[in-house]
Order: sequence, then structure tokens, then C-alpha cells
Amino acid sequence: MTRLARTSVWPGIALAGGVFVACLLVSLAFGPASLSLGEVWHFVTTGPVQGDLPNAIFWQIRLPRVLVACLVGAELAVAGVILQDLFLNPLTDPYVTGVSSGAALGATIGIVLHMSNLPWMTVLALIGGFATLGIVWMAARRRGRIDIFVLLLAGVTISYLASAVVTVLMIRANQDMYAIVYWLMGSFSGRGWPDVEIALVAVPFMIAPLFFAREMDILLQGEKRALELGVEVERTKRVLLVTAGVLTAIAVSVSGIIGFVGLVVPHIVRLLVGPGHRSLLPVSLLLGASMMGIADLLSRTVIAPNEIPVGVVTTFVGAPLFVYLLRRGRKG
Amino acid sequence: MSTTRPPRRPAAVLILTALIFAVLGAFALAGCGSTSSSGGEASPAASTSSASGPITVTDGSGATVTLDQPATRIVSLAPANTEIAYAIGAGDKMVAGTSYDDYPEEAKSLPKIGDFANPNVEKIASFNPDLVLAAGGIQDKLRSKLEKLGMQVYVVDPTTYDGVMTDVTNLGQLTGSTEQAQQVVDTMQKAKDDVQAQVASLSRPATFLEIYSKPLMTAGGETFIDDMITMAGGTNLGATAGSGFPTFSTEVLFKNDPDVYIADSGSMSKPGDITKRAGFDVLTAVKDGHVYVIEDSLIARPGPRLAQGLQELVRMIHPEAAPTQ
Repeated sequence: MTRLARTSVWPGIALAGGVFVACLLVSLAFGPASLSLGEVWHFVTTGPVQGDLPNAIFWQIRLPRVLVACLVGAELAVAGVILQDLFLNPLTDPYVTGVSSGAALGATIGIVLHMSNLPWMTVLALIGGFATLGIVWMAARRRGRIDIFVLLLAGVTISYLASAVVTVLMIRANQDMYAIVYWLMGSFSGRGWPDVEIALVAVPFMIAPLFFAREMDILLQGEKRALELGVEVERTKRVLLVTAGVLTAIAVSVSGIIGFVGLVVPHIVRLLVGPGHRSLLPVSLLLGASMMGIADLLSRTVIAPNEIPVGVVTTFVGAPLFVYLLRRGRKG
Repeated sequence: MSTTRPPRRPAAVLILTALIFAVLGAFALAGCGSTSSSGGEASPAASTSSASGPITVTDGSGATVTLDQPATRIVSLAPANTEIAYAIGAGDKMVAGTSYDDYPEEAKSLPKIGDFANPNVEKIASFNPDLVLAAGGIQDKLRSKLEKLGMQVYVVDPTTYDGVMTDVTNLGQLTGSTEQAQQVVDTMQKAKDDVQAQVASLSRPATFLEIYSKPLMTAGGETFIDDMITMAGGTNLGATAGSGFPTFSTEVLFKNDPDVYIADSGSMSKPGDITKRAGFDVLTAVKDGHVYVIEDSLIARPGPRLAQGLQELVRMIHPEAAPTQ
């Protein structure tokens, strides 16, 4: 059985890679400034040119934005896989650990203190995210081991608490309310190369879980069984939780809170390639990037020159799909 | 605000979005009423304001407001309304304002009824006002509550510069300070006439006004900001994106390459150094040095200081225009 899984991993990954490349090309080729495909190809081949306006549209506006969207999508999808399987709960998304609410709180403090320009906003969001992870972690630690269910409950509780503080800040500093609301909704508008650099920091954390694919497969059968099979359960959980926390915090600090990708993509991928993590993780990474890239494309173009908040697009696409999957899952 | 409790939930995203659209939609709808230059939504007082007899005016929402005698206890629910009240000499009749009233200086020491988005109805009632100056949009629901408590509510919700002048005139009637209100209107009118004379024969450079940077938002059509950019001799790029305060695609901004880039700065947003934003160095406005920052209370707050904002806009859009004087 392992042998079979091993041989069948690559076609799935290659296919997902193909889908991702296609989505990336479509996202780069189309935009509200309607550059022709020939122009886009020309810009790609000539590279960034100082002082050329259409070139700047591609290299300074569109490309970094598409890259940020894809990176954030990949980060959320991988974090979603990790957390769903660690919590053994299909409704888990990267936001249940409280990390995102903590990051939102950090960002809100940044907005209220008028430190909303890079890099402060990101730094504060990361601090908020990591601080929350630390609190949740300490709450869940019992005699050297992490109690996953306490972690889940503590995460949800801290999440509510952080959101309540955000609400208080919104009311107290209500001149900043729009800024906070827009940030909470999530957006890739105005994201440039500095944001790409921040999102790129997460790449090692997207790859790291691949080295724990076998442990994650076994953990699906429960911690007890995993211990019996010689998995270092606590170490694996620690690494994976920190990884998911870092991925979420970085994603949220760059884009705000964008729902559904981290919830739905892992489910879709399980239906396509099964629960084995050697393919589930990389395929989720690639499809998460694809889905977010396309969602942002729609957000940029559908009602141009206006923009639809990208979280709305992912929700409109993700909600019907998720309901469909739930129904299908029940039948099967 | 229940809308922010669990941001991880899709429902919260939807509710937040709905909230935004509702607020922006309300702005947009408010603008649909009438945009003719003859005066925003509020219409000038129909009756004379003789010493005795009821005063009747139509407010920014189209409702009729009647007072038996000039107001003596005024509560303002928006910084702009407070500014109008002080400008027309009704400052001594103000009994309460909002936490964000910052102009004129005296307004800061007024008792507070909460803030713009969350006025406290009990607190408002406790001042026993005979006139409440509300704003449109988020405060629409408040009106019926206040009226049930026996308060007269005048809604200030202009979408044009002239609409603001009409509101000033009406508040002059309601507070018995018609003369000072007329002076304020005259000043605003003179600023408008001067500016229009200055730019009459000039070209109309494409102007982009940034309300907020992430996401990029601008002032669309049917807003008094759009009205003022047009008056100041510019072509408002934001008007192509619809009415109200729409989001605006950065790519389209670049494609249209505005001649003048003005960022609104104030409590809500600090634009930072616009010329240093990635890629912005190719924009004509940046290359020609036509990037400006304007204080938001001068253009985004429908009060008497719009006259000052208008003059600043002319200096930004047409620095070459010699001030007539």
C-alpha cells in the first residue's frame, strides 16, 4: 500500500503544478489595465524598465500583487491541512488557533496608533499572532504534552477575546473604523514587492511539513496509535503547530483575514488525491495558491475600476463548493 | 458591533461586507436625489423667520423640520454640524457634541454624546435638546428614535458644495442667526466665484484624490469632493468608478496616469510619502511634482471650511492660476 502511494504521488503533484502555472499565467495576463498578451510577454522578456508606465503596471503593480496572493493562498492552504489533521476536525481552518485574531489585534493597534505603514503593520501583526500562539500553547500544555482539544478551545476563546478587544478599539478610535474594517476584510490592493518579501519568509515553513508527512499520516489514526507505532508525537505536534502558526501569522499580516481558502482547499484536495500527506500537502499548497490567484484576479477585474474585496470572492466561490462537498461527503 | 466577533467565520466576512456596502450605498443613494447646482438635497427655507411663528425648513433627507421658535439647546452628532453651528454664531446654543469635534477650539470642551458612528440615544435625550443635528448614512436609523422622544432632527447630508450652503442657510433659520449664516454663505459663495473665475479658461487636468491607500479608495461622483474638484478646474478620475467612495484599481490609476495626485490625510489615513511607493515614480503627477496632501477636514467634512478646502484644491490643481484679489 505504501508502495502504491509512493508511485502515485507524482502525477497528482505534476497536475496541480500545471493548474498552478495556468492560474499564474492567467492572473498575470489579465487585469483592469487591459495590457495585451503581446505587451505582457514583452514585459516579461525585457524585465523591469525604469520610467516606462505600462512596464511599471506589470512589474510594480500586477506581478507583486499576484505573487502575494498566490503565496498567501499557499500558506493558508498548508496551514489548513496541518490544523485539520492535527485537530482531527474537518471544520478547522487556519484561523481557529487564535493566531489570526491575535494578528488582527496587532494590526488594529498599528492602525489606531497610526503606524499603519510597512513594516510596522506587519511587525505588529506578527507579534500579535505569535503572542496569541504562545498564550494558547501555554494554556494547552499539561505535563510536557500539548492537549489538542484544550488547544482548540483555548484558541477559539482567545480568538473571541482578541476580536472583542478589536471591537473596543474600533469603537474608541472610530475615526479609524474604516481602516480597521477594510483590513479585517482582507485585500491585496496596493501590495508591492515589500509584501512579497514578507510572504516569501513563509516558504521554508510551507516545505517543512513535507518532512513530517509520514508522521501526519499515522497521527490521523489518533495519538495513541501513533505512539504505539513509534512516532514522536509531542515533537511532531510542536513542530507542526508552530509551522501552522507562523504560516497563518505571516499570511494575515500581509493580506488581512481572508476566509475559506484554508478551509476548503484541503477538503477539495483530499477528495482528489486522498488523505496521504505526501501528496495532500504539496497539492494543497499549489491549489491554494491557484485559488487565491484566481480569486484576486476576479476581485481586480469583475467590476473594474472598482474592486471586490477578495474575501468576498473566496466566500462566494468557497461557500457553495463547501456545501456541495459536505453533501457529497454524507452520501459517500 | 457584533460584526467583528469571529473574523474567521465566513458569515462575519459577509456581514462586514454588507455593512460596508450599506454605508457606502447610503452615501451613493443620498447622492441620487438631486445633484443640480441649485442646492444639494436640502431646499431653502420656505417660510419667513419672523420673530414669532413656526420656522419650517426641509433637511438633507427631504424631511420637513419645524420649530415653534429658534432652537436654544442644540446637540450635534457630527463634527461638520458642530462647525456649522459655531460658524453661524450658534455656538452658545450648543449643549453637546461628538468625541471627534475638534473645530473650532471651543467645541472640544463641549459635553460628548458619544461618537459619530455610535451616538448614545439616552445621552442625547439627557441634554433635552430642542434641535438635533444629525448626519446621513449610518445615522438614518437614529432619526425615528430621537423623534419618538420628541426631539426635532435636522439631517445634514449634502453631496454638493451648494448643498452645504443650503444647510448653512437652513440652520441659520432654525437657530435664529440668519444674518451670520448669510455671511458664511456669502464667504463660501465668494470662494466659489473666485475659484471658478480663476480656472474658467484653463485646461482641466486629470486629478486623482486618494481617500485611503489599502485598499485604494477615491471620491466618486455625487460627492461634494467630486463637486469641488470639478469647481477647482480638475477632472476627477474617481468619478469614472461610480458614486460615493469606491475602491479603485491601482492598475487603472496607472493606466489613466493622473496629472495631479492629491491624498487626503487626517485621522483616518496617513498617506505617507506617495512618491516613494513602488512604481509611482513613473506617474506624471510624481514626475512633475504634482503630488499633494490635503487635510481631510477641509474637503471631507461638509462645513464652512470647505471654502478653504476649495482654495487649496485650486492651488494644487492649478498652481499657475493667479489668485484674483
